[in-house]
Amino acid sequence: MTVETPIFEETPPQVEPARGAVDWARKNLFNNWYNSLLTLALAALVIWALVTLLRGLLSADYEIIRANLRLFMIGEFPGDQLWRPWAAAYCWALIIGVVGGSLAAGARDRATEAGLPYVRTTFRQIVIRSWPILVLIVVILSFTTTITPTLLTIGALAVGLGSYYLSQALPRAVRRGTWLIAIVLIAASYLVLAGFGGVGWQGWGGLHLNLFLTFAGILIAFPFGLLLAMGRRSSLPVIRTISVTYIEFVRGVPLIAVLIAGAFAIGFIIPRDIRPGFVTRMLIGIIAFEAAYIAEVVRGGLQAVPRGQVEAAQAVGLAPWKTMRLIVLPQALRATIPAMVGQFISLFKDTTLVAVLGITELLEATFVVNSQPAYLGKGLFVITLGFAALVFWVGCYTMSRESRRLERKLGVGER
Amino acid sequence: MTVTTDYSDATRATGEAIIELEGVDKFFGDFQALKDIDMRVGQQEVVVVIGPSGGGKSTLIRCINRLEKHDGGRVVVDGTELSDDLRNIQEVRRETGMVFQQFNLFPHLTVLDNVTLAPRQVRKMPKKDAEALAMQTLTRVKIPEQARKYPGQLSGGQQQRVAIARALAMQPKVMLFDEPTSALDPEMIKEVLDVMVELAHGGMTMIVVTHEMGFARAVANRVVFMADGEIVEVGTPEHFFTDPQEDRTKLFLSQIL
Repeated sequence: MTVETPIFEETPPQVEPARGAVDWARKNLFNNWYNSLLTLALAALVIWALVTLLRGLLSADYEIIRANLRLFMIGEFPGDQLWRPWAAAYCWALIIGVVGGSLAAGARDRATEAGLPYVRTTFRQIVIRSWPILVLIVVILSFTTTITPTLLTIGALAVGLGSYYLSQALPRAVRRGTWLIAIVLIAASYLVLAGFGGVGWQGWGGLHLNLFLTFAGILIAFPFGLLLAMGRRSSLPVIRTISVTYIEFVRGVPLIAVLIAGAFAIGFIIPRDIRPGFVTRMLIGIIAFEAAYIAEVVRGGLQAVPRGQVEAAQAVGLAPWKTMRLIVLPQALRATIPAMVGQFISLFKDTTLVAVLGITELLEATFVVNSQPAYLGKGLFVITLGFAALVFWVGCYTMSRESRRLERKLGVGER
Repeated sequence: MTVTTDYSDATRATGEAIIELEGVDKFFGDFQALKDIDMRVGQQEVVVVIGPSGGGKSTLIRCINRLEKHDGGRVVVDGTELSDDLRNIQEVRRETGMVFQQFNLFPHLTVLDNVTLAPRQVRKMPKKDAEALAMQTLTRVKIPEQARKYPGQLSGGQQQRVAIARALAMQPKVMLFDEPTSALDPEMIKEVLDVMVELAHGGMTMIVVTHEMGFARAVANRVVFMADGEIVEVGTPEHFFTDPQEDRTKLFLSQIL
């Protein structure tokens, strides 16, 4: 028998390429009578839902949001002090721009040195990447009654973008000081809000408070979580037992219970004159809670670092804490990015729980406004809740997308 | 090099002893991995350790830089006896370089940073000096052009040579090799062995756990055959490959040659 068929025969494409939309629809949607019927019925349903939604959105009276926009954004901040939140917003535009630009420049330098291709982020990509935020900004601005907020927002975006590109052009030595600049700017952003007769965080509210609780919560809980995770793996029984007990206790309690305990139980323990304010207590509760969860996330990352890495570090004479700081943690934290971002997303949403104490964060504010005399009993919850939902969705979706991007980027060339 | 060795005596080394093991025992639970090991390695000596897997070869060299804690006997490296004292351990580790089967390069650091890490962090060398030294050792293993890349971008053979450079950058007095070519594709084994041969010719004291009999024949001063946690036979490469005495040695050699 002679074998004439070559082993690697070119197989013809299994699926015939669709020649056009009409062809595709005929093949997939209308290939027999009941599929055609289903297609039509479902299409009608989808169109009806869209039309209803659009009609509702267009015909709704957004006066409730327009009148209370400031409450939603910054709570009960005094109206004659509005320059303060705006100044803080400009600080943050600068922080994001400078840190982002410096990170991008660092990635560019490392890639060039390693001989890897570096694709610089174009303006168009930045716009596409941040479309949910841009949509949200447009929606919010559409509820404003004067032109000032729009102009100020455009100014803030310009400052952010400008500092992003400017900091990329800075020499390396200056960029090393980025973290210092960021810390100074963060301090400045707080000072313009609270300093010199302003309002400290006890008086904050609205979306601003949600953001503050999220970022401050993460930032402060993170080092504690790190310590707890390392404590759980410690060879000293005392430290290990304390860490495990704390982590397992906190993980067995709902956050809302921690917050309620912080609000009411503390009142009995700490004397009135040194008792911290409500928001501080909430922040402490959030930190205590998040630290335990972050510890578990970090522990997973620590376990993902192969034993050989530690041995190699030991073999060259690296001291134990340097091995942890320079070899184990950088790899462990990289491995935990998805889980960590997941944790941050749930924290962002969980900050709404401080509402149980009557603190008017965004979600609570959307309820409160419905009992204002002008809107009482008009069933405007759909509108206000929809607005809050949009804000939270934009925040969470952006975080989730950025984390996936970061994962992909870190996977390149470094594994 | 003056070599005067009584090959029947495992405890006698050439020249001045730099590594001394006396009655070393090691247990993993109930399993005894090392049984009363006596061994001395002289300066500039190349000792190749062979034997079936599970025989204690890796454990033996991992006891020399305290990656494993020995349970009995004495381990003395360059005059420092290993004990629970962390300072002694650190001192020994500074003087001994180790190369692993799985390379164990730090994946989040560039090749250059992998090599400069220990000189900078342990020897407190200024960055510039450490980088000059690193380039020198990378040149020695013939890959200076890869300095700015990450380990993941290199082939297995290149990674293992970086690992050798990383160990050399600490300017150790002893190099320990734990099956350095076992995880490599066949075509890459030679480039690593070439570097090791050059090291040996350069006068480095080396203990090499390997299955590369060609390497043993070419550069070993002594070959140590280990099985079941014991040193079974010690001798020159010629002795081993022409006239092995012990039955276990003969059986092992007949299986691999």
